[in-house]
Amino acid sequence: MAMTETKLWTIEKELWVENRLGLHARPVAKIATLSQQFDADITLEKDGLVVNARDLLDVLALDCPQGSRLVLRTRGPQAREAATSITSLFARKFEET
Amino acid sequence: MNRKNRLLEGIAASPGIVMGPAHVLTQEGQVSTRLLYNDQEVAEELKRFNRAVDQTEEELTRLRGEIAADLKEHAHILDLHLLILRDRMLLLETQKLVKEQNFNAERALYQAFLKIKEVFQRIGDKHIRGRIQDVEAVYRRLRGHLTGRGASKTFEFSEPVIIVARDLSPAETTHMSSSQVLGFITERGGKTSHTAIIAHSLEIPAVVGLDNATLEIESGEEVIVNGLSGRVIVNPDEAMRRSYEVRREEFETFKWEVTQGSSLPAWTSDRHPTLVLANIEQPDEVSLAQKYGADGVGLYRTEFLYLRQRQLPTEEDLFQHYRQVVETMAPREVTIRTLDIGGDKFLSPLEYAPEMNPALGLRAIRFCLKEQKIFRTQVKAILRASAFGQVRVMFPLISSPRELHEARLLLESVKGELARENIAFDQKLPVGAMIEVPAAVTLADLLGREADFFSIGTNDLIQYALAIDRSNKSVADMYEPLHPAVMRMVRDVVQVSRKAGIRVAMCGEMAGDPLYIPVLLGLGVEELSMNPTSIPVVKRVIRMTSLGEATKIARRALALATVEEVNEYVNKEMDHRFPDIFRFGRPLVANRVL
Repeated sequence: MAMTETKLWTIEKELWVENRLGLHARPVAKIATLSQQFDADITLEKDGLVVNARDLLDVLALDCPQGSRLVLRTRGPQAREAATSITSLFARKFEET
Repeated sequence: MNRKNRLLEGIAASPGIVMGPAHVLTQEGQVSTRLLYNDQEVAEELKRFNRAVDQTEEELTRLRGEIAADLKEHAHILDLHLLILRDRMLLLETQKLVKEQNFNAERALYQAFLKIKEVFQRIGDKHIRGRIQDVEAVYRRLRGHLTGRGASKTFEFSEPVIIVARDLSPAETTHMSSSQVLGFITERGGKTSHTAIIAHSLEIPAVVGLDNATLEIESGEEVIVNGLSGRVIVNPDEAMRRSYEVRREEFETFKWEVTQGSSLPAWTSDRHPTLVLANIEQPDEVSLAQKYGADGVGLYRTEFLYLRQRQLPTEEDLFQHYRQVVETMAPREVTIRTLDIGGDKFLSPLEYAPEMNPALGLRAIRFCLKEQKIFRTQVKAILRASAFGQVRVMFPLISSPRELHEARLLLESVKGELARENIAFDQKLPVGAMIEVPAAVTLADLLGREADFFSIGTNDLIQYALAIDRSNKSVADMYEPLHPAVMRMVRDVVQVSRKAGIRVAMCGEMAGDPLYIPVLLGLGVEELSMNPTSIPVVKRVIRMTSLGEATKIARRALALATVEEVNEYVNKEMDHRFPDIFRFGRPLVANRVL
């Protein structure tokens, strides 16, 4: 992952888990897969715990049932694209109900 | 590794005395633990681990590619597994443990998995917490590649070893051969556990119920297993080794003496004939049956071919195996028991959920009547084999006349099929019901109308009648073959079958224990089927017993109210009559500490 030396913006967004089953296996797999496509550091925070969005098991272990609030932070050359894609993934409820 | 010698005590489960290096399997069944000595070893171990990860990835990717388009759900699972495989928590943690703790890769991987499991246990949401199952699936697949065995388990050792494990499953022991395994030590299990039964048939010593065996013993340590006394000596000194040699000699001599004349029929001293038969599982055990003088095969367990491979066996496959056994034993009878496992035991391709309580679940005849295609294939193979010798077929776990009836109908329909195809089979193939559920005892008169013979399976009958799980150590000692309830059941079944004019056999472990032989003869059981190794001693006891005396012993035992009284009475009686059986013979075949 090419990290530039220049100071970059950190993009911060609030996310809500709206699908019925919460961040179970498939949504987390989608987040991890999507995150791998961007040249950016991507983290998720819940209740003070911060994990890398690419670390599937860590994200699972965040324990996010329906209604959980998360903070997404992206940083790096593709921070903006990453933030948009992930936010949209959450908004679409991971194509679930 | 130069730890001091120490003595451990467990339950003697299979006779014999043996010395050799320990090979410890952890709880998971096949993880051996070992510390790495230097940086070079660490580097090689990491390479080995990374190779296993690559292989697992290739396998998952390949499986992913093979999935049909309509099985999208399954594809999702494999995608998830690919992600888990490359996850930091599993990969980096394992590598870290290898580097920093000098753990071998299997142990490091296991630790990493345990850590993830711990994290997941704290997750509140049920669905999310349940995903540990996927982590476990990946862990197992990866471990399979690490040990070079693929997903299924086989055991290959560079030298013969003594297996030390928490418990051994049927699928695991299926892959073990007596040339590679000198003996067994397990933490779980009792005298009649699966490990004990397998050890008996492989003729290797076993000690079971030895607490913390996998922690107390390290791989590579020299171990003496005494399957007569239940003792295990780790790192024996010179004196211990010498006395081990002496004991082994004595035991082998006794064994030789008993084996003389075992091929002759066993008549009681007052000239009543009995049949002493062999229980076998694998076709090559026929040679054991012959060697020990079996009058036939009273129980041919047929699960073996279903457990060892991922594909269901074909009819031809089964037929060839059955035919080999039948032909070898001819003209002696071979009693084939149809499939006695549940759906959860299949390695594949059947998908059944694991059962909470397999003993009470969908297994044996219940499973077969549900999976009729599998059942038909087996029945057809049995019928075809019946043309090559004397075959009987019996259905396990019968609990109602309806089940027996349905099984018979299926048998008849397969017969019709064979007749149309002009394939030879025995038109009068005797059909038996196993009596191993208390309901079958109660309904024996009704079952007798559709059965040509009964076979009392005492292992299950005792387990169900007394509500005792014989592999549960906390209650294993309450598993009492001489329990008044059990004796009455045997008596009743014998009475009913006499009235119906059908033969009755017994094929549980109880039938092969010399201690019980006079009681069983006295109750009227005339056919006893057992592990081949038990045959010589049992024949010897039969020849030294008169049916008249046996009847008296059984009558007195039946009159006692508690199992404690019965045990005391029978033990005293037997001790008095057969002192040498008690010194060596009983442990030779039974599984009790002297």
